[in-house]
Amino acid sequence: MIEATGIAKTYPARGGGLVERRDVVALRGVDFSLPAGGAVSFIGESGCGKTTLGRILSGVESHDGGRLVIDGVDVDATDKHKRRAAFRRVQLVHQDPYSALNPTRTVGNILGDPLRRRARETRASRGWVEQRAREVLELVGLEPDTVLPKYPHTLSGGQRQRVVIARALTADPAVLVADEAVSMIDVSLRLGILGLLRDLRERLGVALLFITHDVATARYVGVEGEIYVIYRGQVIERGPTDQVIQAPVHPYTQCLLSSIPVMRGIEEPGPDRLMPSAGPEAAEQDSPGCLFAARCPLATDVCRRERPVLTPIPGTGQEHACHHPAVRSVVPVPVG
Amino acid sequence: MVLLDHAAVSQDAAVRVRGLSVVYRTDVGERAAVRSVDLDLSPGQITGIVGESGSGKSTLALALLNAVPKPGRIAAGSIEVGDLGEITGLSGRRLRHLRGGEIGYVFQASQNSLNPLKTIGKQLLDLGRSHGVDDLRGMVRDAGELAGRMGLDGKRVLDSYQHELSGGMRQRVGIMFALVLNARVLVLDEPTTALDMLSQVAVLDIVREIHRERGLATVIITHDMGVVAEMADRIAVMYGGRLVEVGPAVEVLRDPRHPYTRALIRAIPRLVGDPEAASALPGRPPDLVTLPQQGCVFRERCPLALPICATLDPAMTHDGMRGVACHAADGTPSSSEDEDRNEPIQAGGEKTS
Amino acid sequence: MSTTVDPVVAAVGRRTPKHHFWHGLRVVMLRRPSRIVGAGICALFAFLAVFGPHLYPANLPIDPTAIFQGPSSQHWLGTDFEGTDVLALLVTGTRYVLEAAAFASLFTVVIGTTVGLVAGYQRGLSDSSLMKVTDFVLTVPGFPLLIVLSTVWDFGAPASMGLVLGITGWGGLARAVRSQTLSLRERGFIEAARGLDLPAAHIVFRELLPNVAPYIAMSLLLTFTGFVYAEVGLFFLGVVPFTVNNWGVMLNLAVQNGALSATSALSYLLAPLVAILLLTLGVVLVLDAFDELFNPRLREG
Repeated sequence: MIEATGIAKTYPARGGGLVERRDVVALRGVDFSLPAGGAVSFIGESGCGKTTLGRILSGVESHDGGRLVIDGVDVDATDKHKRRAAFRRVQLVHQDPYSALNPTRTVGNILGDPLRRRARETRASRGWVEQRAREVLELVGLEPDTVLPKYPHTLSGGQRQRVVIARALTADPAVLVADEAVSMIDVSLRLGILGLLRDLRERLGVALLFITHDVATARYVGVEGEIYVIYRGQVIERGPTDQVIQAPVHPYTQCLLSSIPVMRGIEEPGPDRLMPSAGPEAAEQDSPGCLFAARCPLATDVCRRERPVLTPIPGTGQEHACHHPAVRSVVPVPVG
Repeated sequence: MVLLDHAAVSQDAAVRVRGLSVVYRTDVGERAAVRSVDLDLSPGQITGIVGESGSGKSTLALALLNAVPKPGRIAAGSIEVGDLGEITGLSGRRLRHLRGGEIGYVFQASQNSLNPLKTIGKQLLDLGRSHGVDDLRGMVRDAGELAGRMGLDGKRVLDSYQHELSGGMRQRVGIMFALVLNARVLVLDEPTTALDMLSQVAVLDIVREIHRERGLATVIITHDMGVVAEMADRIAVMYGGRLVEVGPAVEVLRDPRHPYTRALIRAIPRLVGDPEAASALPGRPPDLVTLPQQGCVFRERCPLALPICATLDPAMTHDGMRGVACHAADGTPSSSEDEDRNEPIQAGGEKTS
Repeated sequence: MSTTVDPVVAAVGRRTPKHHFWHGLRVVMLRRPSRIVGAGICALFAFLAVFGPHLYPANLPIDPTAIFQGPSSQHWLGTDFEGTDVLALLVTGTRYVLEAAAFASLFTVVIGTTVGLVAGYQRGLSDSSLMKVTDFVLTVPGFPLLIVLSTVWDFGAPASMGLVLGITGWGGLARAVRSQTLSLRERGFIEAARGLDLPAAHIVFRELLPNVAPYIAMSLLLTFTGFVYAEVGLFFLGVVPFTVNNWGVMLNLAVQNGALSATSALSYLLAPLVAILLLTLGVVLVLDAFDELFNPRLREG
């Protein structure tokens, strides 16, 4: 459904005046593919580029290098009309349900606006707009009669998020890009939204691109999911979800997984837990070697000299970019 | 009902809350955001207060500072803090001393509680002056050291503006502000929301270290049971303004007695084990207006609801260091199919059925 | 960010949106009685503007025996240089003043808002060219320009006065609306609207405009009073020929006909000035209410 090769993005320096800013490299040549109806999660810290990648794939931002093919259409080599049509199939679900809905419009209008546009295009019959609005609300588990006349500020966070998803569905998307879709919702309610996304994938065949820093939620996008671990604009590990969680080989992935809180009493910490040797502030400069070397507790000279490339581990479907990959068991272990 | 904490001598409690009720004025009259809460915070202990949005946990924390915003007010109960005694009627200089001098409050990183127009250092000086600190230089030096202990470049941070710092750094600066006046109680409001995993770990490690070093009474308020599970010595679970379960963390996690606690633990997405073992909590947490005024606040979402739950608000019953407020908690379910729900939830395993 | 639901907002959110608005308006007005006073003053002036001229005969009577009289039971505010009742002059003069200012505000809002929205949303070439025009309008000094214009154009009629004031005065609003638009367009719902291929006109007028509207309403009240001063000033200076009586004309005639030297004519001189002050006061008090109405966070206590 989506084939991306060598996606790169740099934010130019906003210099001038008193403030000197350097170019910020957000993405350094990322390869990525999402099959129709598939599920992929991007994991990483804030600022690693995962959000930028999600926005590039949904057409909200442009990319500087590489090739992006959506639904068979090369978005750079086609006219504006076809490009817009291609990106319309990839809908972004924002993380903040509070700012993702216009506070001055009712839910009925929020859903009605894009539907009315489609109705004009397809010359749909009267009443199609209302009917479709009800359908998408029901798909996301909301009661149409209750919700349609309401303004966003009268809905709860979870309900708002569902309306945001419903709005994305009005475009009949082939891909939903959920950017931290549950981070701003209470933990106790997250499963509800995650379940909804998985449901939509199963029922409508929508592919899911799940962007998150909370690895556990990545398991809930459904079967045959893949994880991409992104660090400073580069994919440093990739593989089937449960495999990467149980048997990560890259030290950064291992650090990320080690930072999951341990539920004492029910779980014990993983035996090989790993922590970065320095905070993100330590890794400011661009280096010729591995980007994680400055923070990696296991870095050696070759790591600082030579940047590793993504290499497959034969027979596993997993890939990594590390000079010293080793499987470590870092996730919490159930007790009793 | 007074909750006696056997893990530490009651008289030494840094903060003692008894029968606290905080109400807000709404369109439908006054409603209790916090109702009849008893709680002891002892030095050297980390207490985690867990609850969903609207559970009253943040209101409870603000009440400790006597800072409940209008249209709310403390309607009943007492809060005794250290040497200051009863703080619900405080004002003026003593109130200011309470806030910062006795209790340090750390806001969420996402809430920009720092002045965007002044450097951190200047705001520190403002804080010192408003609390009548004589040795301002010494205070700034201490603050710089504290920042250094937390992994920040003290000098650089003091010269920075709020927007120049990352979320994790802002959170640490917040902790520094809370402790610079040598408070003995530290309250952290959602310290990890809006932080990613690695920053979260860094901040929690720092809190743990400083807590141990200074022998603080620390309170972590959060909706994330995982954070509490990792950090707290004691857990207090709140729902709809009521304290529904308290006890030592490990015990409460291993053997939760209140159906809400069980449901909270079960609703956490699992990293290992069978993903299906986790399930969402049905329904939504109540807000002030929809809060049931009679009977147990949780009954509409409770799988064990008994007829008595609709009419009688369960009082907290104690069993050693644990307390639970539930009519069904002694293990008599409403029907035989519910028996297996009383089995402790095993992480990664299936419920025995 | 923790999704703590504000208990008051949640409680208020029970009702339908329209009900919510009127209820909110009532609460806000009642919170400070001064606002009701302000609303009352504005309502009074509006009433006078509409019905004022009907309360008196078309040609106000002259009374040569009662020139420059002070306040009395017959003439509550005294008389002018021709013996006409000052109160009558004031009341009948209200219509012009408010009408012209209203027209001016209308032009300012329409032009300023459209320019600000389009520039802020489209950015790029449209933005820079629109802003160049705006800056030009801002830097040209309004009042002197009006005086110069008056030599070639008679804009004594309220609509033309309004037009000319509005055309010279929309710059500030355009700039402010643009900066609001720039920050709004980064919000999730605008990005989503673009991602859903909604046309630019819809986004600007249906999504952005309602969000900027409260700000425009408030800034409008202030510019309204500014226009009142400007037109009164123009008439007072005598640069604009007049056909209908208004407050500025009253001032002009008063001074021209020697009101400054007659102590009994003080009420005549002061009446229009006090009227302007009163109007401004009313507007400012109502503005206070609008501020709280549109910014719910100010409502606590």
